[in-house]
Amino acid sequence: MIAESRGPLLSRRRVLLAAASAPLAVACTTPPPAPPPPDPLADLVVQARADAALATAAGATEVAEARTEHARLLQAEVDRARPSGPSSSPAPSSTSAAPPPSSGTPEQVVEALRAAQQAGAELVATAPPYRAGLLGSVVAGCASLVEVLS
Amino acid sequence: MTQPSSAIAPASGKPTGDAVQAVQDALAAEHAAVWTHGLVSAFVEEAQQVAEGANAHRARRDATERLLRDVSAQPVPPAPAYLPPAPVTDAPSSIAALVAVEVDACVAWRGVLERTEDPDLRRTALDALTASAVRATRWRKTGGLLPAALVLPGTAVG
Repeated sequence: MIAESRGPLLSRRRVLLAAASAPLAVACTTPPPAPPPPDPLADLVVQARADAALATAAGATEVAEARTEHARLLQAEVDRARPSGPSSSPAPSSTSAAPPPSSGTPEQVVEALRAAQQAGAELVATAPPYRAGLLGSVVAGCASLVEVLS
Repeated sequence: MTQPSSAIAPASGKPTGDAVQAVQDALAAEHAAVWTHGLVSAFVEEAQQVAEGANAHRARRDATERLLRDVSAQPVPPAPAYLPPAPVTDAPSSIAALVAVEVDACVAWRGVLERTEDPDLRRTALDALTASAVRATRWRKTGGLLPAALVLPGTAVG
């Protein structure tokens, strides 16, 4: 009924034109997108790198190597989830942002590993399936490293 | 306490086949772990450590069977025997067999993590994965194997 009364105003051509130009308008007005929410895994990357530095300072080479590997895999997942170039570039710079500790004790390393285990475990419940697996391995890996030092 | 019946079939109400199969695989790994702990007990000096591992795997096996029954799945039965990576004849080969079953359990439980979205089942799987990773590391330490830790328990490279 309503369409009937509007008939003359909405010509077929108009509708087609509107339909065709709408995406264009959207595309033109959206270029400055809101910054995406921070990836929760990015914090785990920072944590893993810090642990590696601390473990190196404490002489726990095995832990340092393992946590470096964790950082690499977590960063890869962050990059995979957000493939756009610019957002992945700030992450490596965070390595230099945190000055490597000059000293560390095995006790501090254990404490850091327990914190990392906890942080990862909290994300497991709600993570997407692949991430849940990766997080599970990292969490279990941290527990495994604590066992090495105990 | 968590409700196992809702663990595999959360909001949707229907158990998803993938999650059930993953839990069955984990149960099969637990059966193998229980059996292997019995096999090696004569060769390993650390009787207490073997007993703790055996008890943990039995408890995990029983809980996993309950979880499956609660979603009307028939739990996979144990096999009559399991093949260790190498014949078990002494302490080192026993420890290798124990590490192998823990590593297999890690892989199976990570598989559960990746096939369910249910937070309770994820927690169960994470606990099992973590416990097996720690025991694998402990056995590697006991056997003097380096590196002792599994960097990424649950992945093929371990």
